[in-house]
Amino acid sequence: MHKSLHSLLLLLCVGYLNAQVSDFDHIDFKKADRIALSYSKEGLRNLPELAHKLTADLTTDVERFRAIYRWVCANIANDYGLYLKNNRKRQRFKNDSLKLDAWNTKFRQKLFKKLLKKKRTICTGYAYLVKSLADFANIECEIIQGYGRVSTTNIETLDLPNHSWNAVKLNGKWYLCDPTWASGIPNPKTNRFYFNYNDGFFLADPRLFAVNHFPIAPKWWLLEDNIPSFNDFLGAPVLYGNAYKYLELHKAPKQMHHKIKKNESVSFKYELKAPIKKETIKLLLDNGFGTRKTPPSSISIDDTTLALEHQFDKTGFYDVHLYLGEDLMATYTVDVKSN
Amino acid sequence: MTTNSNIMKLQNFNRQATYKTYGFMVVLMMALFAFNPSYSQTNERTIAGFVANEDGPLPGANITLEGTRIGVVTDGNGEFTFPKKLKTGDVLIFSYLGYETQKLTIDDKTNYIKLELTPDMVEMIGDLDTNTPYKTKRRKQ
Repeated sequence: MHKSLHSLLLLLCVGYLNAQVSDFDHIDFKKADRIALSYSKEGLRNLPELAHKLTADLTTDVERFRAIYRWVCANIANDYGLYLKNNRKRQRFKNDSLKLDAWNTKFRQKLFKKLLKKKRTICTGYAYLVKSLADFANIECEIIQGYGRVSTTNIETLDLPNHSWNAVKLNGKWYLCDPTWASGIPNPKTNRFYFNYNDGFFLADPRLFAVNHFPIAPKWWLLEDNIPSFNDFLGAPVLYGNAYKYLELHKAPKQMHHKIKKNESVSFKYELKAPIKKETIKLLLDNGFGTRKTPPSSISIDDTTLALEHQFDKTGFYDVHLYLGEDLMATYTVDVKSN
Repeated sequence: MTTNSNIMKLQNFNRQATYKTYGFMVVLMMALFAFNPSYSQTNERTIAGFVANEDGPLPGANITLEGTRIGVVTDGNGEFTFPKKLKTGDVLIFSYLGYETQKLTIDDKTNYIKLELTPDMVEMIGDLDTNTPYKTKRRKQ
């Protein structure tokens, strides 16, 4: 009796757990990845055939989807020029829906031509391709349109949707992934895109996704509760792609900007994917005059729970960057006033 | 001995009767097929067609037989001849990057398919991820 009650409770808890890649811990994606990477010369002229090649030798839907997703991430480049041009036009026409529609139509044609011929695109092209290939493999997949927040987004002008990603239904449950951000990043100096696959965006925890992905349709939060408002979203810390590599969850603080008095502290809390070494954790403080890398005042690691605290003993306005080793994870600001 | 030959005669007779029955059935079935108007169409047949988009003929569109890898691509004039003979009930999938995929079930009368693909009305947007550290905009110090 006691035992059955226990298992019932366990079942209930599992039912509420968020959809994430750890649901598939028993599956090794090596075979799917190997297949995906072996078809690097394939073009997009025959999508049904490509979908077949990528999925025919795989048995589970999650592996089949994985091969599609991995292929798109490894073969489609981000076109920075197209992205800039689109941004300019969308900003210019944002109050003229006719002109915006006309631009969207023209741009869509141009974009698909470029995707077909050069395998270059911007976010929606990635999400579109993942969905198209998944459709041919009979895997239910959707394009999610919304707002994505990165360090260089000008928050004041984040008034038009600027990002697309995917939801995929596997074993009756919806999951999130972001093929664009997983594929690579532009070189900060040259803005040239380079492929650098980040596995953290594959079926990531929706609660982590929610920190920098705001879907227009609320059902795609895939959250049971604590759904952020748009202002919550704009006020959240900046997360970098690396955060998805190391973090299961970003628990605290929920806000990017902090105002404290001299000698007060700010607390940070994270759920890690795997335990890490204390020595790798550093804060880079930038007060506008210079930067300083320092370990936080206190670090506590309990298995995969990471809690940090940092005391600010000098006044100033600080950009606070969290680093694990050389990898930049998140940015906050702290305005330290005198008592 | 006599008994035996009698039995054999009887068997022979039975066999002949069976052949007659079969023969009759074959004639009956042929007659049925001949008078069935859909008979000619249930046979496998070569299907050709033409695919266009909003601007006119669409070269390079993919046409695949559902559940198989058998397919064909439209030529420079948007035309195709499907490489496998098809029968009523077969489903063809028409696709082209950026256009809504359409499925078409071959019916009794299908011999030539004319089809226009419609663009997928997805709004194209895209912000890149970046490792560039966030920087507060400060007044000149």
